[in-house]
Amino acid sequence: MWRESDDYGDQYDVYRYYGNTYDAPVDSRQDFDQQYQNKTFIMPDVIKNFLIYFHKCITEQNVYEIQNAYENGFNNLTERFFKNSPWPEAEIVAPVVQNDTLFLILYKELYYRHVYARVQTGPTIEQRFESYYNYCSLFNYILYPEGPVTLELPNQWMWDIIDEFVYQFQSFVQYRCKLGKKTVEEIDTLRSNSKVWNVHSVLNVLHSLVDKSRINEQLKVYSKGGDPDSVAGEFGRLSLYKMLGYFSLVGLLRLHSLLGDYYQALKVLENVNFNKKDMYSRVPACQVTTYYYVGFVYMMMRRYQDAIRTFSTILLYNQRTKHIIQSRTYLYDQIKKQNDQMYTLLAICLTLHPMRIDESVASVLREKSYSEKMIKMQKCDRSEFETSFAFGCPKFLSPVPPNYEAPPGSNFHKEAYLQQLNVFLDEVMQQQSLPVIRSYLKLYTTLPVSKLAAFMQEDGLHTQLMCFKHKMKNMVWTEGAGGLDGQFLSSSEVDFYVDKDMIHIADTKVARRYGDFFIRQIHKFEELSRTLKLIPSKK
Amino acid sequence: MGESAEMKEQIAELLKGIDRYNPENLPALESYVETQAIENTYDLEANLAVLKLYQFNPTFFQTSVTGQILLKALMNMPHTDFVLCKALIDTVRLEEETLYPILYIANQLETCQFREFWTFLEQNPGIIIGISGFVEAIKKFVCHVINITYQTIHIDLLTSLLGNISDEEVKEFMRRHGWKRFAGGEIFIANQEENVKTKNIKENINFDSVAGIMASS
Repeated sequence: MWRESDDYGDQYDVYRYYGNTYDAPVDSRQDFDQQYQNKTFIMPDVIKNFLIYFHKCITEQNVYEIQNAYENGFNNLTERFFKNSPWPEAEIVAPVVQNDTLFLILYKELYYRHVYARVQTGPTIEQRFESYYNYCSLFNYILYPEGPVTLELPNQWMWDIIDEFVYQFQSFVQYRCKLGKKTVEEIDTLRSNSKVWNVHSVLNVLHSLVDKSRINEQLKVYSKGGDPDSVAGEFGRLSLYKMLGYFSLVGLLRLHSLLGDYYQALKVLENVNFNKKDMYSRVPACQVTTYYYVGFVYMMMRRYQDAIRTFSTILLYNQRTKHIIQSRTYLYDQIKKQNDQMYTLLAICLTLHPMRIDESVASVLREKSYSEKMIKMQKCDRSEFETSFAFGCPKFLSPVPPNYEAPPGSNFHKEAYLQQLNVFLDEVMQQQSLPVIRSYLKLYTTLPVSKLAAFMQEDGLHTQLMCFKHKMKNMVWTEGAGGLDGQFLSSSEVDFYVDKDMIHIADTKVARRYGDFFIRQIHKFEELSRTLKLIPSKK
Repeated sequence: MGESAEMKEQIAELLKGIDRYNPENLPALESYVETQAIENTYDLEANLAVLKLYQFNPTFFQTSVTGQILLKALMNMPHTDFVLCKALIDTVRLEEETLYPILYIANQLETCQFREFWTFLEQNPGIIIGISGFVEAIKKFVCHVINITYQTIHIDLLTSLLGNISDEEVKEFMRRHGWKRFAGGEIFIANQEENVKTKNIKENINFDSVAGIMASS
């Protein structure tokens, strides 16, 4: 049975996480029934040896070998032995690794992540709770002590921890809202454990990691060309805290986006200069996630030009690094999905705000699957906008539990999505006459208002013309760190002004680009000549 | 004004880090919204924090405060603050009697149906009670749209877009925006040929993109 040690009647208790000190939720299980454990599992030697080796790498803090075991060892054995079934329980693993608490926490992190990703039936409610408590233990270990802990993990793993933590929260909230197929007992369990995967505790963990690492202070100094370590403090100087802090900013970006808080989503990145490649951008999955959410948020804020720039940058980056990513299958699937989502969102943005983009990204959008969508959207097909949005958008969440008293069979998991869909469609519908106007304007350099009105069979065309100008003048980021600031610019492909009753139209002509091509070729040849030098010459 | 700036600072303290989600701050934040409405000041971040707290604690939701926040957001057009607020409010709430008309006028303003907007406002003056400077702020937005759309505009159209304003007010707007009156009832807004011209996109190669090559050669 699950039980809360705190008195649930005290309503303010939920908010006890406030304040500057980290006060993590306590693992309050008292008589946890370990019924679902399979103690008869006999561990094959290859797995036993791997675990012993993995444990040794972590104990000895050999980051290179940890990374190898994490990215290759674990995944290879997963493919061989645990494709769709869970890894051995931590209790079975414990004797193999001398009951090392830290190792077991890290092991369980992988264990539950694998359950979420691979086990067909998905995690049970107990596993969801267990995984949450395991994250609590991990973050308590890292955040509680008076001094920093001496643990080093590969960047990729640290990113995965934060990413998975937010993902499991997302997954839990969706699960919680689907009351339809739940038993009375399951609903009771959810009701009486309102603190597990509570939005406040998730926010609190991410904020605590940000504060402890002093990552914002570090980024401020870094962007001015200074040494981040000078302000990092004893925690933030260590890679563990520094990178967890940085990844938590991206985690917050994602979390705020999922909750529809677009302003705050960008605001948390105010010190991150994500238009520049730097030491913080070495984990590809983190890069892709950052750009995806930033691009999406820009789209919702009607900052189409920024959205288009953001999506094109990362899609181009993905195109160029494809060969590296492809070699790591577990990354590839995830990035591929996000890639398709971003192309779809880019197609939406370019429909609403046509402009020139990088040729190699544009050529993908000319493929049938995207161009058909774009043609439909240009005709203001509401259902196509809806389909594309549904495919491209993140999984929106409602931060509060559903009404558990609702009639049996009620589902609430779609409400947050529908709310954001409405916001988006309202905006699209406000712009519905613009593509038609644009298509006529493209044909002329000057055009009397009355003539356009006749084409469109519409009176009061001045209203639509003003709407066109208003909607196409977007806030655009110009320079510096953070993505919120900017200035109003209009750089859509077709622009115009009205002089009395005459529309004067300005088009866009594009010259061919050479520089980019040459730069790429130079890089390629340099790479080639470096490789050639490495080949031992025969004498 | 000094008092208001001080208040803004105090409020900013309440919004730092995890404290932003502390419902105990709600009364202070709600009264700050009221202050903004009366004193015609604006603090988007604080207002979004209120909506956030309503999102996390639906039982604390107050329609009137939400209405004030939405109207304040409209006053900051052409910025898209209204969308940011709307994304935090439950769809069911937006359909409530008090909020629905605000969404209606927001839609009119976003689609630049200014004449229809003024008529609606005349018929429903109650919507904006207690929000000082609302009409002025919207007129300012209308002027912004006129400024980016027109080189010259007929005075009748101009007056109607601004809600059939008096000749005196027209003169005041002309003075403020540097508009000039032409013969035959036309008003010169600005020379747009400078801003709106056919673009020739040429390639710009910035230093960052060649720095790598230059360093390695």
